[in-house]
Amino acid sequence: MNAPERSSAFLLDEDSGEQKCVYTADTKVTNAGTFRLNKEDHTVGNLFRMQLLRDPNVRFAGYYCPHPLVHFINLKIQTNNSTVAPVEVLGSAIEDLANETDHLITQFQESIETWKRENDTEMTSQF
Amino acid sequence: MPNQRFPKVQILHIAPHEIKFILSETDVSVANTLRRIMIAEVPTMAIDLVEFHANTTVLNDEYIAHRLGLIPIRYQPPESMKGEDCNGAFLPHRECVCYERCPRCSVEFELDVSFDEVNPLRAEEELMAPLTVSSQDLKTNNESVIPAHFLSQDEQDEAQDAGVAIVKMGPGQKLKLKAIARMGTAREHAKWSPVAVATYRFWPVITINEEQVATLTMEQKQELVDICPDRILEIDDLTGSIKAVENAWELSTYTEDIKFHQDSLKKRKEDDDFVRIEHSADKFIFTVESTGVMDADEIVMSSLRVLKDRLNHLAQEVENLKDM
Ligand SMILES: [Zn+2]
Repeated sequence: MNAPERSSAFLLDEDSGEQKCVYTADTKVTNAGTFRLNKEDHTVGNLFRMQLLRDPNVRFAGYYCPHPLVHFINLKIQTNNSTVAPVEVLGSAIEDLANETDHLITQFQESIETWKRENDTEMTSQF
Repeated sequence: MPNQRFPKVQILHIAPHEIKFILSETDVSVANTLRRIMIAEVPTMAIDLVEFHANTTVLNDEYIAHRLGLIPIRYQPPESMKGEDCNGAFLPHRECVCYERCPRCSVEFELDVSFDEVNPLRAEEELMAPLTVSSQDLKTNNESVIPAHFLSQDEQDEAQDAGVAIVKMGPGQKLKLKAIARMGTAREHAKWSPVAVATYRFWPVITINEEQVATLTMEQKQELVDICPDRILEIDDLTGSIKAVENAWELSTYTEDIKFHQDSLKKRKEDDDFVRIEHSADKFIFTVESTGVMDADEIVMSSLRVLKDRLNHLAQEVENLKDM
């Protein structure tokens, strides 16, 4: 049988030296390059793209998943000027998103606690 | 850090099997990422390996193994009153250091049912009727990890069977097996998905052009109110104008009846709309229903932790690129 491993969709193939993230600078456009994110999909692809587009230093940000049977995405970034590299804007985009997620975690914890206190229901699970 | 947002969360309803909330002041990309993670990347337990010792039922081994895989397996620590996130309590089996399997990465269930042994114990009127083997017959070796037989008390009261039905048996038939549950995510197989439903709707933004509405007769306003099948508009008794009803956000399904009907009320076709109903770009109404593997609010919290870990990992990887 030539079926691929079930885990090939989400575990890095470390035996053949697969890296999580590979950067290739663009040969024709300045301040631009492509990140290949292995074992990632639209979940982070679109999240990063939208966050990058909020950055005034970013001129272009886009991603694509080349085929449903391959498990990586390509994220292309071009910045406005040579003082900020694509690696830097991506780094700060991820940092912003991580902080936003932290904020969301506390927001959720607080509102779930408040709701349960106010609604004082038997939140006991039956099984 | 210049582009960070500070989203807000408002809980509408929490039940063990369902949570509804409003997420606001963020982007669709964040809402969609959360939805996708809840569906496919929150780790749960599910039966992944089955050893058959005897099977003389009408269903073949593979068929039963598949049905076992789809039974929601709940992680509920001894003192806890709720189904909890199993991430951390267990390891994904591929990351465990053990040779084949161990209690850190797997849970074993035994099932041994024989019609002829069970039949004499049944009530008179049930004797010789088909016997349903259900998730109740799975005996665990870890009391914190048990099949989620039902989603709620209501469901249990209405059910015909003792739990999730696996196979029906007749006289002389027997089923004996060992099933091994492991932690995984729905990226590998949908049986690991913790949610039955995880969706969001866009908050409706209803804008009323008072100036335009003032040019309508009372009958025309009533027409506009009545044309909408969702009943999201009403006549404002004080001002005689049109306003959105209080729970319009719950009712609105974005039907286009108002949009088309109001064109016929316009004096000139280039006139502004009387009422506009648009999707909000930064406010979302979430509904998450659990399959029973853990409480719905735990699924949301777990998805956020998964996202946080992922972002930290990627941030580190991108940081490593800078040094190259
Ligand atoms: Zn192990």
